[in-house]
Amino acid sequence: MLRTSLRSVRALGNRPAAAAAGRQWQVSAARRAVVSGQRSYADNKKPADQAKLPASETLTAPSTAPPPPRQTETVASSTIPPENAPLTPPAPGPAVTSETAAKTTPPAPPPTPRKKKGFFRRLRNYILTLTLLSALAFGGGVWYSRINDNFHDFFTEYVPYGEQAVLYLEELDFKKRFPNVASRVTGRRPDGEQVKIPAQSGASWRVADGSESAGRQSSAIQKEAVTKAAKTKGEPAVVTEAKKETATLPRAEATTNEAELQKPVPAPVEKKPKPEPAPTPTPTPAPVPVVPAAEPAPAPAPASAPAKQPFKAPEVDEPSRWPPASPIDPLAVPDAAEPVVQDLVHMLNDIITVINHDGASEKYAATIGKAKDELSKVGGKIRDLKTAVEQDAAKQVRQRVDDFDRAANELVSRLEAVMTAQEQQFRREFEAEAARLRQSYDSKVRLIQERERQLAEAKLGNQLLEQAIQLQRQFARDVQQQVEEERDGRLGKLQELSAAVASLEQLAAGWNNVIDANLRTQQLHVAVEAVRASLEDARHPRPFVRELVALKEIAAQDPVVDAAIASIPPAAYQRGVSTPAELVDRFRRVAAEVRKAALLPDDAGVASHASSYVLSKVLFRKQGLAAGDDVESVLTRAQTFLEEGDLDNAAREMNGLSGWAKTLSRDWLAEVRKVLEVRQALEVIQTEARLQSLKVE
Amino acid sequence: MAEPAPSRAVSRPVSEALLNEKWDRCLSNLIIKSTLGLGFGVVFSVLLFKRRAWPALVGVGFGAGRAYEECNYSLKQAARDIKKQA
Repeated sequence: MLRTSLRSVRALGNRPAAAAAGRQWQVSAARRAVVSGQRSYADNKKPADQAKLPASETLTAPSTAPPPPRQTETVASSTIPPENAPLTPPAPGPAVTSETAAKTTPPAPPPTPRKKKGFFRRLRNYILTLTLLSALAFGGGVWYSRINDNFHDFFTEYVPYGEQAVLYLEELDFKKRFPNVASRVTGRRPDGEQVKIPAQSGASWRVADGSESAGRQSSAIQKEAVTKAAKTKGEPAVVTEAKKETATLPRAEATTNEAELQKPVPAPVEKKPKPEPAPTPTPTPAPVPVVPAAEPAPAPAPASAPAKQPFKAPEVDEPSRWPPASPIDPLAVPDAAEPVVQDLVHMLNDIITVINHDGASEKYAATIGKAKDELSKVGGKIRDLKTAVEQDAAKQVRQRVDDFDRAANELVSRLEAVMTAQEQQFRREFEAEAARLRQSYDSKVRLIQERERQLAEAKLGNQLLEQAIQLQRQFARDVQQQVEEERDGRLGKLQELSAAVASLEQLAAGWNNVIDANLRTQQLHVAVEAVRASLEDARHPRPFVRELVALKEIAAQDPVVDAAIASIPPAAYQRGVSTPAELVDRFRRVAAEVRKAALLPDDAGVASHASSYVLSKVLFRKQGLAAGDDVESVLTRAQTFLEEGDLDNAAREMNGLSGWAKTLSRDWLAEVRKVLEVRQALEVIQTEARLQSLKVE
Repeated sequence: MAEPAPSRAVSRPVSEALLNEKWDRCLSNLIIKSTLGLGFGVVFSVLLFKRRAWPALVGVGFGAGRAYEECNYSLKQAARDIKKQA
């Protein structure tokens, strides 16, 4: 406030004063004040900002006086205000300003470009530092995330591109550590490399299709082998081939088995030459010894021969010169039907195939040959044993059958003899039994006849007795009937007499009752009259309890009389009821009071009561049976009825009043009601008495 | 007549005399209250107001006004009771 006031003063005041004050006050503020001549608040932010902008000047304390060029500069910038306000032309001020303005006009432009440059530079610097810092932070984060696992999780999850960066770095590291792994992992082979397979590995260039065997051999096993070969493509071709051979050979032997069963001896003979050619390591003629060996078995031999010939023929030019092997022929035993032998043969054959494909057939040929011999011998022995046992069994069976036949014949003959003997005995026993039964039945029949006769006699006797009793009873009844007839004549007359006497007595008693009732009704009449008299005679109300008690006694529990007496209010007979004259007198008083309150409004105060009292004095009185619902006419009507002696109607009229009027006439109404009730009760009793007397007559 | 009359007078007024009784009460109340007010007024006028007439008149006015208000209240109360009974 103080500043503003000062400023305003300065604006109004002359130049020197403003200049003097300017030293104390911030230049821009002063300038603004001079320029616009406006009042402004001390906390205007703009000048402060401008003052802060140059960073170099922040070193000086803010309290220090502003440098003189500044002041002059401001004055120079405010070249317009002197024109606007020519009233303040101080001599020294303008002189100084013109001088300083001339001097400082060149420096005046710098602030604006500097400001702009500064701003852009600052912006650039700011962005640069920001990017640098963020890059540094990112790099540091990546680096630290490789060290600390927790930080790695945090960094990869929350920092954008952090995960990729870390992953990339990790991959680089990994590649650096294992340079060969990448190619291995990918599984791709470099294009230039060639795969070399050793010659001894047994693989051949031939496709392991086995198409040549498809046409010639019709067994299912062959196909299976083909499929198996297809399945096991990964295996070396030789192995599949060898397997094929092993599969075909036993089959061939199985087919020949039946033929050879008749002559088991030549089989081993045929086999024997096999091992001998097998060990010969001749490369090409290997199949030649096989062919004569396999001659007895016509089917497999040609199969194997062509199978190997195509194998050899193109082979001449090819790199693999070695034949797969000169195989030991697999074993064919004629007794292969026996499971044990079969197992053995299989085993041996497996061994042979293994040996064949191992190329070690020369080594084991002798041993295998021996084993084959042994095996075939074992087969032969087993067959011999079988035949011997069969013959034995047949003989024994025949003997047993004969024994059974004999025993059966004997049994049949014995059974027949026993049956005939039994039959004769049964017949004898049956006859004896029949005779005995006839005798017993005869005796029973006789007994029954005798008993029936006795029964009939007894029945006849009983009937006779019953008739006698009936006759006696009838006689007694007849006698009694006659006696009673005689007696009834006299007894009936006696009863009539007694009834007549009784009726006479009743008549007499009835007359007595009639007389009594008459008396009672007379007394009732008298009592009622007494009550009435006591009511009407009296000049003043007087209790009539005694008369009423007498009346009640005479009535003797007559319900009508009792009810009538009960309807009279106790106050009436204890204090008596007022006479009509009294009622009329009181009515006059009540009417005067009611008239006073006739003009009262609904919620009346003192003033309305007073006015009603005064005005009621000047109301016109009505006469006779006036029409209308107002208090005056009601009162007039009631008075008329009273003068006629019609208490009932008067009471009805007064009952129609409301408000203060009704309240004032309440006691009078109650009195009238009492009188009316007593009168009504007496009338009822009188009527009842009259009815009683009528009843009697 | 000699017998019931005293009992009635003791127990409660006859219905036609209800209004009259209220008036009697009001008048007596008026006299008492205005007398009291007059007394106070006189005392005040003597003690404080150099025996002027108006304090006494004011006292009477207060007393009478009070009495009037009470009377008004009692009458209205009675009217209300009547209405409630009806």
